[in-house]
Amino acid sequence: MRSSPARLTADALSVPGWPEAVETYFDRGWSDGLPVVPATEDSVRACLDAAGLDPGTVVLTEPVRRRAVTAEKVAINAVLAGCRPEYMPVLLAALDAMADSAFTLHGAITSTGGSASLLIVNGPVRHALAFNSGTNVFGPGWRANATVGRAIRLITLNALGAQPGVLDRSTQGHPGKYAYCIAENEEENPWEPLHVTRGFARGASTVTVFAAEGPHNVLSHYGATADAIILAIADSMAGLGSFSRGESVVVLAPEHVAMLARDGWTKPRLREALYARARRTRADLKRGGKVAGAVTPDDETHWVHRGTGADDIHIVVAGGGAGGHSAFIPSWSRERNSLAVTREIRLAAIPRGGAS
Amino acid sequence: MIRILDPTVAPEPTESTLAKRVGDLDGKVVGLLSNSKVNGDVLLDLVREELATHYRLGDVVIMTKSSASRVADDAVLDTLARRCDVVVTAVGD
Repeated sequence: MRSSPARLTADALSVPGWPEAVETYFDRGWSDGLPVVPATEDSVRACLDAAGLDPGTVVLTEPVRRRAVTAEKVAINAVLAGCRPEYMPVLLAALDAMADSAFTLHGAITSTGGSASLLIVNGPVRHALAFNSGTNVFGPGWRANATVGRAIRLITLNALGAQPGVLDRSTQGHPGKYAYCIAENEEENPWEPLHVTRGFARGASTVTVFAAEGPHNVLSHYGATADAIILAIADSMAGLGSFSRGESVVVLAPEHVAMLARDGWTKPRLREALYARARRTRADLKRGGKVAGAVTPDDETHWVHRGTGADDIHIVVAGGGAGGHSAFIPSWSRERNSLAVTREIRLAAIPRGGAS
Repeated sequence: MIRILDPTVAPEPTESTLAKRVGDLDGKVVGLLSNSKVNGDVLLDLVREELATHYRLGDVVIMTKSSASRVADDAVLDTLARRCDVVVTAVGD
């Protein structure tokens, strides 16, 4: 850690006290609708010091709207969200991932599809920063999950200009747009964790970003076999509402993954089985308004799979020890326009550049 | 008193120059670029019909972006720039 002597350049407003500061952020349209923690020079500098970055370092550029987001602006939004300074490297890695052209940042944060940026944290940083990977993993109660997820939304709103009704034209959006950050429960995963599957060392800390719909619950209590669990997950993935050729994240409950492993299943085999079973006929897709045109006899036997292959299905283990509730999370992208991107979390984060 | 910081980022300023205006569309080549989503092509068809009631259009070049979420491909933009006097784009959804 070091303290940068460089001056902060953000505009500053003087207000009488803390309550007025909170109201000022509301009045200016600089919140997500919830009260924020007012950002002062001291609190912002603490975040910059934890990141080891000068305030003017550009960490993300968004070329469509010509926004260059500096470390200082990331730090200000991190403070507003309630982050501890040591969360900064997670935010910087997530933003670097979102700047990857494969993520298609502009579309992902403005589309009528209404996606949120799901963050999945892996590796030792989960414990170092107390990210929740267990009970109520998508829900409230853990500062790291809640505030890192919220900071990404505030950066999207304040720094990238994706204000609802202006540039963010989500038809409905979903609650994950307030905060959408989980950690993998690697301790209860009998297989390799997500970041290892995606090519990182087991001891690395990573964050994966995924422009995503909300989680779809997959309840399977009574079968207590791998076959029952796979049938239920594949059926959810084949549902017409979210059906597309996009990627999928499947978040297995510890109870479900234990049964799958007990019955001899491996992660690659599960991905293959889900890809094979998550399919619809083109006739169904036409009847459901997913594909244009009238149904032809050929359509009844022409099968379309969810995704383009088994590798499009990302398997993660998370959730509490009790309960047969897994989740299927469809991508916002209906094709290949936005893909999951993973970055290593480094203490001295050095960004890699722009987005498209 | 406390001093609080602005979290917003303004767009980077850039300079651009408007292309020369064409005056009218008689004999002009008109490009129609759809964003590739539902009804973008329908909207552009209506634009073409409406323009044709006012002008004797030259060729009409119809193109579609490969993805609604991304900037049009360079090849599409180059073709429109090379062949067309004016271009109308439509956002369907």
